[in-house]
Amino acid sequence: MSAPTAPPPAPPEDAPHHPPAPVPVTPTHADLLRVFAGVAMVGIGGGLPAHMRRAVLGRAWMTELDFAESYTLAQLTPGPNAVNLAAMIGARLRGWPGALWAVVGVLTPGLIAMLAVTVVTLGLPGGLPAPLQSALRGAACAALAVMLTAALPVLRVVGGLRGGWPLALATFAGIGLLRLDLLPVLGVVVGAGLILHRPRPQEQP
Amino acid sequence: MTDAGANWLDILLTFTRLGLISFGGANLAEIERVLVGQRQWITPGTLASGFALGQVMPGPNMLAMTHYGFAAGGWAGAAAATLGFYGPTALLSAAAALAWRRLLGWKWLPTIRSALLPFGGGVLLAGVLVLARGSVQNVAGAVIAAAAFALLTRTRVNPALVVIGAAALGALIGL
Repeated sequence: MSAPTAPPPAPPEDAPHHPPAPVPVTPTHADLLRVFAGVAMVGIGGGLPAHMRRAVLGRAWMTELDFAESYTLAQLTPGPNAVNLAAMIGARLRGWPGALWAVVGVLTPGLIAMLAVTVVTLGLPGGLPAPLQSALRGAACAALAVMLTAALPVLRVVGGLRGGWPLALATFAGIGLLRLDLLPVLGVVVGAGLILHRPRPQEQP
Repeated sequence: MTDAGANWLDILLTFTRLGLISFGGANLAEIERVLVGQRQWITPGTLASGFALGQVMPGPNMLAMTHYGFAAGGWAGAAAATLGFYGPTALLSAAAALAWRRLLGWKWLPTIRSALLPFGGGVLLAGVLVLARGSVQNVAGAVIAAAAFALLTRTRVNPALVVIGAAALGALIGL
């Protein structure tokens, strides 16, 4: 992989000592941009939330609890989780502009690389040369495995929920097999889940 | 390149919708239904190869959306797809983070989480099915996918390396 930009800043190195009482440090907008771009570059192949945790805890920007709260909330909002998490961390640290700079930072290295590769692969007049096509097919097969491994932890949690498996399988059948429109499936499945898990006074939260 | 190129506003709105309805990960089944089936902006092959490219890019692995946007409408399409897919959901996340203190004690919060998770799990499974249809076209492909899965679940190897290795293997055997 060619990396046209500067080498990534190593996140944990500049916090070698554990401060006895972590003094909250407020990053500047430029800090957010730089650190999240660095997180993106060390996070090729996934694991972005773990890299973000190391980066923000190592700089004493956040406590472990703050991070865990943001992480939970990032799972609840729609959209790509890693980008949502960057937006949340940025927002907590520096409000709306902080969210913007964190998101721009985490997206920029990948955008540059993806656009460069896209222009080459989609722009060739006679289509891709055969070996490159074969390579992309091989990569796609492995990407399928990556997707499946990413689904496994979610499915494990789903298995522990009341009605989790039937609702997940109904979603799979509706969207994957029957190719139904997503919003009605979302309405039925999430509606059923809300009823199943509605807050009841006799239950402990 | 596909046709002359779709309208950037159309691309922006389509990708905004795709971003807002993905929970817990990439909603590849819906992405395929809309981009390949309904709009015919990309082919199943572009869907699969773009997704694979996304796995070896730095940062979030759904940068495939930028690839699809470019295929649909060139540079303006790539910009519109990226902005549409990431912008509104990031705004929503920032708003949620700023409102978090008030949300924390809300008794419906765990309920919403428990209701969304099975949906997210089913969507991820449907995405696996869609990707399998687009990428595994013969026995060799299935073997690569199975070997990659075994590697990823049994070792702590970087997924990007597995994808790059599979690409080399694919080029060697002329998959």
